[in-house]
Amino acid sequence: MALIEVKDLSYTYPQAEQPAIKNINLEINQGEFILLTGPSGCGKTTFCRTLNGLIPKFYNGEMTGKVIVNGLDTADHSTMELAQHVGLIFQNPDNQIFALTVEKDIAFGLENLGKSKPEMYKEIDWAAEVTGIQELRHRATHELSGGQKQRLTIASVLAMHPKIIVMDEPTSFLDPVGAEHIFDVLNQLNQELGITIIIIEHRIDIAAKYVDRIIVFDRGEVRSDGSPEEILSNEDTRLLGVGIPRILTLAKRLKDEAIFDNNPLTVDHFYDKICTVIQPASNKNIKPPFDLDELSGEYHHKPLIEISDLYFDYPGNVTALQGVNLTIHEGDYVAIMGENGAGKTTLVKHFNGLLRPKSGNIRFMGEDIKDKSVAQLARKIGLVFQNPDDQLFEETVEKEISFALHNFGIKESLIEKRVNWALNLLDIGKYREKSPFALSGGERKRVALASVLAWDPDVLVLDEPTIGQDYGQKERLRHFLMQLRTQGKTVVIVTHDVEFVAESQPHIVLMADGNVVTEGSTKQIMTTTEALARCSVAQPEITRLFTRLADYGLPNDVVDVDEAYDLLNRKIREARK
Amino acid sequence: MSLLESLRFTRGDTVIHNLDPRVKFLMTLVFFSVSVMFMDIVPLLLVFVVQIPLVFLAKVTNEWFKSIKGAGFIASFIFVTNMISFYYFRSGALTWDLVEYSLALTMRFIVLVTSFSLFFITTSPDKLSLALEKARIPYEFNFAFITAIRFVPVLADEAQTIMDAQRSRGLELDKGNFLTRIKNYIPILLPLIINSIRRSLELAEAMESRAFGATENRTNLYELKMNNIDVMVLVVSVILLVLAVYAKLYLPPFPSLLGNGPVF
Repeated sequence: MALIEVKDLSYTYPQAEQPAIKNINLEINQGEFILLTGPSGCGKTTFCRTLNGLIPKFYNGEMTGKVIVNGLDTADHSTMELAQHVGLIFQNPDNQIFALTVEKDIAFGLENLGKSKPEMYKEIDWAAEVTGIQELRHRATHELSGGQKQRLTIASVLAMHPKIIVMDEPTSFLDPVGAEHIFDVLNQLNQELGITIIIIEHRIDIAAKYVDRIIVFDRGEVRSDGSPEEILSNEDTRLLGVGIPRILTLAKRLKDEAIFDNNPLTVDHFYDKICTVIQPASNKNIKPPFDLDELSGEYHHKPLIEISDLYFDYPGNVTALQGVNLTIHEGDYVAIMGENGAGKTTLVKHFNGLLRPKSGNIRFMGEDIKDKSVAQLARKIGLVFQNPDDQLFEETVEKEISFALHNFGIKESLIEKRVNWALNLLDIGKYREKSPFALSGGERKRVALASVLAWDPDVLVLDEPTIGQDYGQKERLRHFLMQLRTQGKTVVIVTHDVEFVAESQPHIVLMADGNVVTEGSTKQIMTTTEALARCSVAQPEITRLFTRLADYGLPNDVVDVDEAYDLLNRKIREARK
Repeated sequence: MSLLESLRFTRGDTVIHNLDPRVKFLMTLVFFSVSVMFMDIVPLLLVFVVQIPLVFLAKVTNEWFKSIKGAGFIASFIFVTNMISFYYFRSGALTWDLVEYSLALTMRFIVLVTSFSLFFITTSPDKLSLALEKARIPYEFNFAFITAIRFVPVLADEAQTIMDAQRSRGLELDKGNFLTRIKNYIPILLPLIINSIRRSLELAEAMESRAFGATENRTNLYELKMNNIDVMVLVVSVILLVLAVYAKLYLPPFPSLLGNGPVF
């Protein structure tokens, strides 16, 4: 018998008109590692909540069909009972850590079950060991980093010995290196302990190489279900807006060359295959006949934001920035990258005066900003924060967007024009009279963006704009940023998303330990491996492939699929001639 | 505020940190009663002399000093108002016993601050909650207490982020008259409240998923057990209290240090 059996499952949230999931039939076996994906709002999270009975017991609403987990019908058993079979881990680690110390939090579930003290210590030892947080046992939970918190949530659930662990976007707050670490832990649980893992994730490039089955949801239904190779190379999946790993996209574009009998998901796999076709070249790393970047140099307009020797400490002498020097020019598109805690957000908060330097100075359009108020600076430099819920508060979307315009004292007649313009630009005109809280996460993010764009700042700074966004939403954002640039706006993004960067090719500023390590074009930065490693930034898949192909007479600074395709296609044809 | 902040728990592994919270609380109460019982500077100085080695033993001199500094304003206020009011009460004669008396009242305040800061700086909320549990407070209240403490830093971070986000949208908090200023805080309070409601739902979900309330006989990873040191401290504290009461009731008043001659 299957470990999880789902029969004709449909569920409607209370007060909702449409079912969130419908007609779901699935069987999941012991030891599977499953990725659930699909566009935002497709019902994946709802489905996970049915697995430990939160739906329908906690949420009420209307559920039909059956969910049987480890032989228990979820309709007949309480969540606290099911919790021993299914460990559910939610997106935000902060909202599921209850205790003040690591050890005590791991014990929380065991205490609830009434385990004895020696038993608890045994389980804590084991769970902390497996998740690699042994040395953090006595630390205070609020002092942990994002990745450590996420590992703690896994340990806490693991201590109850569930057969199944379900995780909802566990890596969305982590940098790529931290994300890989979480996947390594999950992989180990799956391989060594045979725990069934079900995971929701938008970062398919990372997830694809670990999982052995992908289930795609769309509008509350299961759209497709199969092996990663099968599902990801299916055209239907791509059209749904699921992010296909770039290496697979490249392989598919080369399909006419009949190199791949099955679809490669990893760089290694691709490399092994392609090497059987193309020949090594004696002249390593030849450059293409001409390189526009190199002929012209990077062209810069006049400096807009000039930062020199910027030092900043948080209260309690926590050093955050140590001597940052950086110039952003008019019309630039800049990405600030680096690991969590490198000082990226701290730096951009200096742009509009939210934080003031301990020493050093910042000039905007040639003027020192020391004596300017945040409101004065914000008029020119718009900052969009990561989480829209930290700023939305008005009754309607329209009021939300005009809030800042009133603050800046813009004329009433102009306000209406600006609001209409922003609503249209972000395609949210139809929500004008709706409450921002009634919208989905992606839509709320667009409202927050519109509420800043509406006053038409010269510089737009976006903090982690791609977090929690599905592939389709990211593509829309990318096009939108390109559009802003053609209007001459200066755009700065703070991001971990290497693939987003590889596709939009900004000027990159790499940061580590409160300082700028290096900066340059996407191509330059993505090939300086030491600096990338120091800043915990992973190379894009395509660049990793071309770094390995250095002996084949191909340039190594290739970042996007189009260029990679052209080069490889030419190379293959040459080899076959 | 700095006074309250300086009372925050500081992790440590010292005799004082490891005392049973009930015993430590009793000790604090003894300090409290003794300093309230006496108005003479000698016994108050004696209490202070007992407290100082405890502060050093707990290795929290910096934190303690911060709390004394935080209390400094109130302490000098006590001294000055006492001096002035007695001066006028005694129709303008400034004598040394007045100075001594005002000093004693100030000393009393410092002793009280020291005893409570020593308790709060060295007692983890976890241990406090255990003590509450032993006092048969229902677990739900206890859980609420710990959760409240757990989310103080989270909420503080969130409030800061919301404030930054709204200021970036041109909100000026300190603009306008009193009423407008209050109104200015609405864009900060609303997201904070809504996020908290959302958070409480998520917390409830996560609690369910960790088998909260699965059994009546909930266990606790940590347990309170009195060891020899605890018993010793308990006994010494009680003896001190008895001695103080005896001294107050049966012994002649403590000698004055400064005499009662005129200051000038």
